Amino acid sequence: MRHRLIMLLAVTVLMTLVAFGQAAAAGSEAKAAPTIAKAWTQPKTPWGDPDLQGTWTSDDCIGAPMNRQASFGDREYYTEQELAQTEQRIERQQQNDLVETIAPDARVTTGPPGHWGERARRPCRQTSLVVDPPNGRTPDLTADARRRPIPEGAGNNNPKADSWEDFSYYIRCISRGVTGSIFPVIYGNGQQIVQGPGYVTILQEMVHEARVIPLNGRPHASPNVRSYMGDARGHWEGNTLVVETTNFLANKTGIGLNGGGTPTSDALRLVERYTRTSPDEIHYEVTIDDPKTFVKPFRVAFPITQEPGYRNFEYACHEGNYAMFDSLSGARAQEKKAAAAKAAGRN
Amino acid sequence: MPNGKPNFTGLWQALGAADWDIRDHSAHAGPFFQLGAIGAEPAGQGIVEGGEIPYTPAAAEQQKQNYQNRMKLDPEVKCYMPGIPRANYMPFPFQVVQSQRDIAFAYEYASSNRVVNMGKFQPESVDTWMGTSNGRWEGDRLVVDVSGLNGNSWYDRAGNFQTDSTHVVERFAMPDADHINYEATIEDKTIYTRPWKIRTVFYRRKEPNAQLNEFKCVEYAEELIYGDLKKK
Repeated sequence: MRHRLIMLLAVTVLMTLVAFGQAAAAGSEAKAAPTIAKAWTQPKTPWGDPDLQGTWTSDDCIGAPMNRQASFGDREYYTEQELAQTEQRIERQQQNDLVETIAPDARVTTGPPGHWGERARRPCRQTSLVVDPPNGRTPDLTADARRRPIPEGAGNNNPKADSWEDFSYYIRCISRGVTGSIFPVIYGNGQQIVQGPGYVTILQEMVHEARVIPLNGRPHASPNVRSYMGDARGHWEGNTLVVETTNFLANKTGIGLNGGGTPTSDALRLVERYTRTSPDEIHYEVTIDDPKTFVKPFRVAFPITQEPGYRNFEYACHEGNYAMFDSLSGARAQEKKAAAAKAAGRN
Repeated sequence: MPNGKPNFTGLWQALGAADWDIRDHSAHAGPFFQLGAIGAEPAGQGIVEGGEIPYTPAAAEQQKQNYQNRMKLDPEVKCYMPGIPRANYMPFPFQVVQSQRDIAFAYEYASSNRVVNMGKFQPESVDTWMGTSNGRWEGDRLVVDVSGLNGNSWYDRAGNFQTDSTHVVERFAMPDADHINYEATIEDKTIYTRPWKIRTVFYRRKEPNAQLNEFKCVEYAEELIYGDLKKK
């Protein structure tokens, strides 16, 4: 079901983009994102660190493509005219969401209801999540990375369900990796930041990750201790929280949405920067450096915002992973049926 | 803390054998002889005040059934979230990060976690594995009210269990910089004849390189859970 909803969303986004591509060129480019709001001072915790606490979401850039459509060239932001169109689409969607949930003759389908999804509240200004290189596109894979298998559920077009191991680590409810846990997707985009003296924790709704980030300059764990979410170390550069994460497991999650795409290597090093630009917005960016996977480092950036009433809920993914039971048992049932048909044909 | 409250921030871990059985118990063989002494269960002094859990007769029978079928039924076997209070005294550390307001608990086992809301009391909106935690200060003691538990959690590997009516009130106190005295009052009229208490101690992990590690155990449980659905 999750696959189906993602597909549907991808098609919608694609259609919108085509429309944008045609309308482009005309109009002035919208203003760049990370400017600090005027007449606002970064609040501090009682122990003197910049205070980034609250529950943040990447919802506003839901549907923004990872890689920029070629027709935009090096253009990083939509024009005001293009943004106005998106704004209208968001309004229409809000209306449709209401209709879907309250109409007495609302259609019943096998897909999940629209209200399961989270929605952008305002247009994402960027033409792509990748902001560097200037063409907004993920750098080429290395020769070695091109040979790396991608599990089903992480971008493989030849799905099979012989075993749970054919599914992505997301579908298996294990992890989406660091970037996969903050890049905007259909739901579960919540990031709750809780700070204490010497620590920042980032609690991510999906798949209930809790990143504990020490700030005291302690060295990284031994390279023999590796994990899906890596070993994070943080420090402040002015009011910006800089988090450097290493010690990742090789061949698990990728840099795509939900940790999809070509799995990264044990050489992956992430540097994230969290800069609060107003009471309700943090500018987030991450530099992805994995010389065994990508021919050069690249940078992804987008805003995360605080929204009234938005909070994290428990995402008990593995505990309720009926999709895995159903996919595997469905595949076995199909095989049984095919074998029976073959046997009947022989008789 | 600047507000005069004790600072629980740090890496903590319980000692003892409560995760095997929160009641007093002797050492005995484990269910798999292949594991030899590694799979055997150590003896332990219980953490239940007064020694016994005041089950109703039906609930006492349920616990025995749970124990007999523990390899199938214990949520820990399947890498399910441990619930409260079990998360606190499993044989894994947990990290507390305490802000000027809310307090985050990150447990190593299964990447489970919770944030104790120290603001205005928020009743649970839905039942969950880890429950809804609302905290308050009673002097220097942190009191955490845990409601909205979904009833699927156990207290230990011995089949001691709770229901979706179970209400837990935890108390954390720091007698010195490196210890937390923990107690939890547990109430559930559907299976216990009276409220009862557990008490244990959490020790600060002092090794210079100690830190919360990752124990994403789903992949250690998949063969067990889905094995019969694998292509032959």
